[in-house]
Amino acid sequence: MDKQTPQGVKLGPKEKQKEIIISMFKKAIASEVIDTVLLPMKVPSGDSYAWILIKDKSFLDKAEPFAPIMPINAAHAIKRLTRKGKAQYKTAVLIRPCEIRATVELVKLNQVCLDDVLLMTYDCIGAVPMDDFIKNPEIKEKEFASFQASGEFNSACMKAVCGFCTDFNRTSSDIHLSLSDRGIFISSNSCKGDEFIKNSRLTPDEDLSDWTKKLEIIESVRETKRKQVFAQTAGETDGIVNFHKIFESCIGCHNCGSVCPICYCRQCFFNSSVNEQNSDLKIIRAEQKGALSFPNDKIMFHIGRLTHMSLSCVSCGLCSEACPVNIPVANVFSYVAAQTQTAFDYKAGKSTGDALPMRDYRSEELGELGELVKSVDKQEGLNA
Amino acid sequence: MIEKIGIFLCECGPNIASKVDIDKIAADISALEDFKDKELVVKRHKLLCSVEGKKYLEDEIKSNNLTHLVCAACSPRDHDATFIGVCKKTQLNPYLYTIVNIREQCAWVTPDKAEATQKAVRLIHSGMNRVLYQEELFEKQLESNPDVLIIGAGIAGVQAALNLASKERTVYLIDRASELGGKTTRLHGLMTEQGSSLNMISQKIAKLSKNPFIKVFKSTILESIIGFQGNFEIVLKDLNNNETYEFMAGAVIIATGYDLLNAKKTDCFNFTEEHDVRSGIEIEALMSAQKRVLKKNGKAPLSVGIIHCAGREKVGYCSKICCNYLIKISGYLRTMYPEIPIIHYVRDLCLPTKDSQSHYKDAVSEKIEFQYVKNLSVTGESVKFTDNYGKTGTGDHDLIIYANAVIPSPGSAELAKLLNVDLDEFGFVKEAHLKINPVSSSGDGIFAIGAAHGPADVADSIIQAKAAAAKISTQLIPGQKIIPEIRVAEVLEAYCTGCQTCLKICKYGAIYFDEAKAVSVVNEAVCRGCGNCVGSCPSGSIRSKNFTNPQLFQEVKEAVR
Amino acid sequence: MHKAVINKDRDTAVREMASYLLDSGRIGGVFSLKKFKGSESVDYGLITDKGLLEYIHPFYPVMPQNAGQTLSKFTKMTKPVLAIIRPCEYRAFVETVKRAQGSPDNFITVTYTCGGVIPLADHAKGLKNDVLENYNKAVSEGKNPQNTRENCRRCENFYPENSDILVSVIGAKKDTAEIFINNDKTKGLLEGSGITITKGTFDKAGLKNIIEERATVKKEQFTSIDKIGKGLNGLVEIFGRCIGCRGCNSVCPICYCTQCDFSSSNFDYNRTIIEKELEQKGALRLPPDTVFFHIGRMSHMAFSCVGCGQCSDVCPAGIPVGTVFNKAGEAVAAEFDFVPGRNVEEKIPVMMYKEQEFPEMGE
Repeated sequence: MDKQTPQGVKLGPKEKQKEIIISMFKKAIASEVIDTVLLPMKVPSGDSYAWILIKDKSFLDKAEPFAPIMPINAAHAIKRLTRKGKAQYKTAVLIRPCEIRATVELVKLNQVCLDDVLLMTYDCIGAVPMDDFIKNPEIKEKEFASFQASGEFNSACMKAVCGFCTDFNRTSSDIHLSLSDRGIFISSNSCKGDEFIKNSRLTPDEDLSDWTKKLEIIESVRETKRKQVFAQTAGETDGIVNFHKIFESCIGCHNCGSVCPICYCRQCFFNSSVNEQNSDLKIIRAEQKGALSFPNDKIMFHIGRLTHMSLSCVSCGLCSEACPVNIPVANVFSYVAAQTQTAFDYKAGKSTGDALPMRDYRSEELGELGELVKSVDKQEGLNA
Repeated sequence: MIEKIGIFLCECGPNIASKVDIDKIAADISALEDFKDKELVVKRHKLLCSVEGKKYLEDEIKSNNLTHLVCAACSPRDHDATFIGVCKKTQLNPYLYTIVNIREQCAWVTPDKAEATQKAVRLIHSGMNRVLYQEELFEKQLESNPDVLIIGAGIAGVQAALNLASKERTVYLIDRASELGGKTTRLHGLMTEQGSSLNMISQKIAKLSKNPFIKVFKSTILESIIGFQGNFEIVLKDLNNNETYEFMAGAVIIATGYDLLNAKKTDCFNFTEEHDVRSGIEIEALMSAQKRVLKKNGKAPLSVGIIHCAGREKVGYCSKICCNYLIKISGYLRTMYPEIPIIHYVRDLCLPTKDSQSHYKDAVSEKIEFQYVKNLSVTGESVKFTDNYGKTGTGDHDLIIYANAVIPSPGSAELAKLLNVDLDEFGFVKEAHLKINPVSSSGDGIFAIGAAHGPADVADSIIQAKAAAAKISTQLIPGQKIIPEIRVAEVLEAYCTGCQTCLKICKYGAIYFDEAKAVSVVNEAVCRGCGNCVGSCPSGSIRSKNFTNPQLFQEVKEAVR
Repeated sequence: MHKAVINKDRDTAVREMASYLLDSGRIGGVFSLKKFKGSESVDYGLITDKGLLEYIHPFYPVMPQNAGQTLSKFTKMTKPVLAIIRPCEYRAFVETVKRAQGSPDNFITVTYTCGGVIPLADHAKGLKNDVLENYNKAVSEGKNPQNTRENCRRCENFYPENSDILVSVIGAKKDTAEIFINNDKTKGLLEGSGITITKGTFDKAGLKNIIEERATVKKEQFTSIDKIGKGLNGLVEIFGRCIGCRGCNSVCPICYCTQCDFSSSNFDYNRTIIEKELEQKGALRLPPDTVFFHIGRMSHMAFSCVGCGQCSDVCPAGIPVGTVFNKAGEAVAAEFDFVPGRNVEEKIPVMMYKEQEFPEMGE
């Protein structure tokens, strides 16, 4: 969290969150501060939500700004919209903090362009597991709404990753909506945000540090949980035998990779022809140990995915949701990501200005090797 | 079509034959189970790289109508190109051949003969596996571009332009200043006055402007450059209106001259605007303009102190040109002011040119003094020094003239980055070899002349300009064909998502981004086939021709069995 | 057809037969479901060491992959492999052979009368409350097991007739193995195994009850799809929850494309195009083409849908993909008198060019 919490503008009482937000977007579109907005809407069958890009204000009445579930990480939607081509419209997106962070990472991977995109987020109480919701949509919706209203940040009804998420509030967005007990406040985190607030004719003049302090308490509860979960995961994944065990029932469907906002490859390396072996090789491998399991090399897939994306993992938890055999993928990946990111002093999603460690070439690196290079240099005299 | 694989075992004189059992290798290779359905032609030869050996190989490829070839011999660094050359004379595409190193990687390092033999069989088997997955690749021919870009229109650049330009070779001469000639246009005279050297220089510049094969760009800088010798794609930018100009050239000469270290940074001066403390080049400018040297108050000086080596310790090298020009300047002063004290404060004297000694003798005979010092400091126009015996002394003057250290031209670091050439520890362009190859840089086709790579006088600049021109004339012949690297990288457009990881990692600037399709594309003319991009792509959407994953996998599969 | 009755526990009999074939060098390996010691998971394995055959559980009621997909990825082998797979997996394999994906000579196929499989998630949670025992009991009594996949409960093609070997499982006592051998080649392979082979055919009569029950369930299930809605609106209702993970595509044995067109740059619109569409419609779902993908996939593979239900089982949104596709697939295939997996020589209707077609239109 920022050391200095920006000042905010009160938009209205907490009980009227949905109406306030919808009205804010209606005004913004009418006054052309923005042209389009990305918000969740219920699907026709009523038991899930989808991201809808809205231009016609009348659709806003059907929108559900604080959807109880996160079936798709909004970064996917933003990627599909902005990856290539020029923007005609200024788009605002109101998404969860982890979705903001995933979007920030995709900017660095050249998959998202934030031109004419206004990132907005809010204090997130978590998301209900999708399959729980689908089984009982009405009940879960009511439950979620009541937690949202009461500001219950530690409900056990949310996804496992939400329970140990410490980045659930102010993050690298342009605009933040504080859903405090005193009311809904809008504040800016960036120049784009400042512009939006100014153009909306709002003056940030209220101090939000009391709410910030309350959120800090919740953060520490989450931090404790995080330590617990990681300690448990450490034990469960210690050594290759245990690591294998936790992924034992994996069927190699690659759903986890498909739903992950960071996994941007059009064709996963592990689906490519590189990994297809002719039958002779399958027999040779089988003969080495007496048997060969299928799918082949499924642990390699997970290790490979960890290697490729753990530096950008934002712990959104979609991987666990999508796994048909209930492997706690998000716990394992979050645990590893916390370590790899710490090793490089890097925090995924914190800022588009932070260069991605392994991908970023720095000519001044590993200074201790520089001495070695200098001495070799002196001896070279190229062809005259 | 049945594959017919030729496996040629080179004995390499005794190098291989004495360490492995060639007969057994031949027998084992011929009997490989997984090659039963292919036709194998297994032969041995004493020395495949010899004239006779190459002819033998050529004849065998032709007469056996081989579809693939494996040469079990020495290191690819020695003879990969040799055998590719042989294949080119036959029906066999040279990229359906592979070399297996059974010398450095086997015979020379495995003491036990039986073990070495078995290892050789496995290495050859790996190569055979690999070669079956190789694809035909075809050379492209580019016409080498003979034109030259010269960056910097000082005396070095001007000379090089005059020597290079011809009907078959256009020279693009650029300078960021609005006038040509660089520092020489500010001089009053050169030390060696065989005729008016400056006139000669102005004549060169005039000749240049009349030469139809020299395109001059004033107030222009290099915006970008990619490519390699014979094939550079260059973009220039006009500083006045930011317009760009694109063209192709085959070589680049860096002739960006030098700058002078700010006196305040030399740690020996303490003066303000009011004091009469002038650099050598300022005096030259005064002489050029007024033909006289006067103090700032318009009066004649009564005592002149001339400071050598200002900043020499700081930069770490001798700037070479200063002792000569300071003696020249003291000569001007003596002519103007026959009686006043003129004292050179000198650490060491550097008099390298043939006539420097006589100028020095003249100076001494004209009662110009030379005070050797160990260290000194100058406050205002007063000098305090310690000589080599530890004795201190002072000099009270009313005009101080100093020579400040020659340093790289501003913007040298950025230019070096654009051109991808190395700089030395002082920031000058680094020569390929200080003594043996002084006008070439670390980049093929990129040369550095004159003060761009270190302190140089007019003679040095002209000599080096001619040297670089001579090199280019022999290396970059108009009409010459170059064959760019064939084993390049290739993006599989269907799988690329344009994350630009490969683009960022390419040292040669060989990958560009197609905005419309949002994918990366390899410029095959520039790619050197290093493969860094292939390693960097997380999805494997970029592949290396002739080093594809299936090829490498097949090779390794046998090796690690 | 030939028959063999082995008075041994079914699993043991199959293991011994496999062991004999492996020993004799007539096969290069055995492909079957296996559960190694100390492991909770059951997955497919290719076994070459006969000592490990004790760990195969050929009739275990779980389908981690559709083995037809796995087998279709085997390139030509020098020696065949004995593959023990379910009827729907066998039929899927046949459909892949028609698309030049699988090599039939690679395998000596063994299938069996299948009671169905337990959903993946249920199996992963751990088999509590005697789920497995109840399953085995039902099967041995010739009854439909409860708690199987939705697809399995309506599957009428659970007794294949074209595999090399058929093992009777439903209604058969566990301590006796009844094996049917479909061709002379396979009979020849078993020579010297000690298995007494006589003439005999497989009698479907004992499966009548199950077939009838399943037919009823099928009607119910297909009707329930109709109830959700018909036409495009119906598809939007059904696939509204879809999150575009492409899991269904990934696990489908028929979907063999290295890169699905819907995942390719062909369907990767740039912002200008999306915003133009937005202008016309006022609001647009992102990512786009949710239902389009399913319609596309259906039009490409529904003819060959064997109803294995793997797609429904991996769907994170619990969409009855398998039922919808199977329903549509059967309907269109019926128009051409085509049944997927029935006969490897039977060409797939829309992938086959006939010079004389629809003569009535020529008039």
